Amino acid sequence: MNTHPYLRAYMAGIAVPTMLLLVALTGFLVARYTFQIPIPIERAIIFPMALVPNIFGLWNIFYLWLRPRRHLPIGFHGAILPFILAPTGFTLATCSGFLAATSGGLVWFHQIVVPYAFLAAGFCFALIAYYLVWKYLVGFFNEVLGIA
Amino acid sequence: MNELEQNRVADLLKQTLAPVNPDPGRDLWPKMLRRLHERAPSQHWFAVLFSPTALSAVPWFDWALLVALVAGICAFPKAIPIWLYHF
Repeated sequence: MNTHPYLRAYMAGIAVPTMLLLVALTGFLVARYTFQIPIPIERAIIFPMALVPNIFGLWNIFYLWLRPRRHLPIGFHGAILPFILAPTGFTLATCSGFLAATSGGLVWFHQIVVPYAFLAAGFCFALIAYYLVWKYLVGFFNEVLGIA
Repeated sequence: MNELEQNRVADLLKQTLAPVNPDPGRDLWPKMLRRLHERAPSQHWFAVLFSPTALSAVPWFDWALLVALVAGICAFPKAIPIWLYHF
């Protein structure tokens, strides 16, 4: 009997970013309409809505495929993902017109300036976040779907 | 081994091994159902994820990483939309 492990891995992978998408959308709405940050929601939501969940699902399929060959703990496997997602997100944001590289740093949404000195720290925080999310949340969903 | 010898071996085996009763003495389905219920999770997945047992299994350095992450977000609240974008 084919138990479709890769399909289950995909479903387990997309579960977390799909749930967080609601949080992201709410955050964008609050930022735009309460704090008056000019976020172009219709363009900014493309990356977290269309790309991130699919990449999570595919990355989890890759984890499952990789496991018998070269086993890496799921937390570390997830912590590699920002190396792919960050450049993709930056590129898409630049093309969509809400991220600009200036001499003072990166300007997000025409208002939030991130100095270049903070980029490395921000990336380290992203690694931590992805490590924890993959170890505890994606790992949990893998367990629930019987592919842990 | 000819046919006669095969029949002889078969007879010997039949004499040696105890006859198997094709019908079980009792209904096995209730026991099967009980086992299936035992295997099924009794708690909601959300309760399992945040249960005291699961939380106590988290090592201290993961708690430290979580605290650092939350502290980082609190220190730079303006970065929250960027976080939301990247998740």
